[in-house]
Amino acid sequence: MAAPCRRMASRPLFQFLTCFSRTAVGNTGFRQFSTASVCRATLQVKNVTERASSPWTLMAAVCLQRLPVITADGSPIEQEFKNMLLQMEMEKSVMSDHELRLLDDAERLRRKQSADYDSDEEEDHGKQDILLGQDLEDAWEQKLHRFQPAPRARADVDEDLTSAQRCLADLLVLLAEQQVGDEKLWLLPQTQWQEGETLRQTAERALASLPAGFKATFLGNAPCGVYKYKLPKAVRTESSVGTKVFFFKAILSDSAPPKAPNAPLLWVKKSELQQYLKPAYMMKVDRFILAV
Amino acid sequence: MSFYLVQLQMSVTRPALALLRNMFICPPGTASANERQYRSMPTHRIGRWKYLVPKQAPKKKKDRHKMKPIIPATNRAYGTLNVTVSGYDMTMVEHYSQYIHNLCNRLGVQVAESFALPTKTTEVMLVHEQGTKMEADAVLKTHQRVVQMSSLNAALSSVFMDVLLKNQPEGVQLSVKEQTEADYRARFKERPELLGLMAQINK
Repeated sequence: MAAPCRRMASRPLFQFLTCFSRTAVGNTGFRQFSTASVCRATLQVKNVTERASSPWTLMAAVCLQRLPVITADGSPIEQEFKNMLLQMEMEKSVMSDHELRLLDDAERLRRKQSADYDSDEEEDHGKQDILLGQDLEDAWEQKLHRFQPAPRARADVDEDLTSAQRCLADLLVLLAEQQVGDEKLWLLPQTQWQEGETLRQTAERALASLPAGFKATFLGNAPCGVYKYKLPKAVRTESSVGTKVFFFKAILSDSAPPKAPNAPLLWVKKSELQQYLKPAYMMKVDRFILAV
Repeated sequence: MSFYLVQLQMSVTRPALALLRNMFICPPGTASANERQYRSMPTHRIGRWKYLVPKQAPKKKKDRHKMKPIIPATNRAYGTLNVTVSGYDMTMVEHYSQYIHNLCNRLGVQVAESFALPTKTTEVMLVHEQGTKMEADAVLKTHQRVVQMSSLNAALSSVFMDVLLKNQPEGVQLSVKEQTEADYRARFKERPELLGLMAQINK
C-alpha cells in the first residue's frame, strides 16, 4: 500500500519535468540558505553538425520568485487550534526553574511574615534573599517594553505593486510587460533562444536584460514548465508555426536591487496573476508556481 | 456384504496403525540425520518449517562503525548530499527535518542516514553599563539535524529545493552540502592518548 501511494503523490510534481543532461551549479542565496558550491565549469554545448530546423521558435522565460519573509497569520480555525494546543501543553507541562523559584520565594515570604519566625532555622540563609524571582520578572518586563518590533504589514507598501517588499507573508512573482508580436503583454520575462547556448543561459539572459538588476539563484537546469503558442493560421508559414516558451525557476537573492523608475515590472501574488496574464498562458504558469 | 465390511475395516485401520507407529517412533517435525522419513509415508514432510524462515546471517561481533561509501556525483544526479537543519527551537528543527525525511520517502529519494549533530550551547553575557562585570543574560542552544540522501536526480533537485524553501519554518536555517570524509570524521571524538602513542611511534 505504501508503494502506490508514494507514486501517486509524486506524479503531480513529475508532470512538468524534463531531463536535461547538464550539471547544476548553485550559489549562496537569499535568507541564510547555502547550497553546495560545486565549482565545475559549465560544459560547452557539443557542436551538432546538422540540426533539423524546427518550425517552432524557442524562447526561455524566468519565473523569479521572492520567497515569503514572515510567516502568514493562520485562518481563525488555525488560530483557535493553536491556542488550544498551547493551553493543553501548558497544562500538561512541568514547572520550570524560574517558576519553582517564584514558588519558593512566595513560600519563604509567607513564613517570614508569620508570627513565630526564627531566622536561624532558615536553610540556605542569605543566598536567595538578595534577588527575588519577582525582581527578575520586573526587569524582563521592562526590557520587553523597550523592544519595538517592526510592523508586520504596512498598508502603503502592500499597495505598491512595483515594490519587492510588499506582502511579506506571500510568495511574489515578477511580471514584465514585453512586446510580443504587435502588442504589449504582461508575462514572465522571456527572450529568444540563440544557437550555441543552453536554455538556462537564455533564461539568465532574460533576467539580465531587465532594466532593474536582480541577483537570483536558478534552481537547477531543468525547466519547470512549458507553454506552446501556435500562430494564427493567417500568419503561419512553413518555417514558423509558433513559439514554445520554457520556464525556469529562480529565487531572488538580494532584497534591494537598484530601482529603475518607470520600469514595466510588477511583483504579484499568485492570486493576482489572473488579472494580468492571458488565460491559456495563466493555465500553464499556474501549475508550477507552488504557493498557498 | 460382510466380506466387504471386513475389507473396509482393514483399509481404515492400516494407515491409522501406521500413524500410531510413526508417532511413537519419531514425533512429527524431528527427523534426525539418521532416521530419514520414508518418502512414500503419508506423513512425509509434515512438520517441516525451518525452510520457510528467512535465512539470517550469523550474528557477528560488532565491528567499528564503517563509513557508508560516499557516492560521487554523475552528470545527471548529485552524489551523497547532506541537508542540515539548524536552529534554536528544537521542536521546529525536529519537525522540519522529519518533514524533509518524509518528503524524500514520498519522492523516491533514497535516504542514507538521518542523524543529529551535538547541540552547541551559547551563553550570552551582558556587560553592565557601570562596570566591567559580565552577567549571564541568556543561554541559547543550537540544535542540528542532518538528513543524508544517497543521490538526487538533477531534474528533481529544482523541485525539491523549491518545496524545501517554501516550507522552511521561521528561525530555522537550511544548508545543503555534499558529504565529505572530513564531515564524517568530525562526528567522532578524538582520542588524545591514541594520538599521543601514534606520535611517539612515528617519532
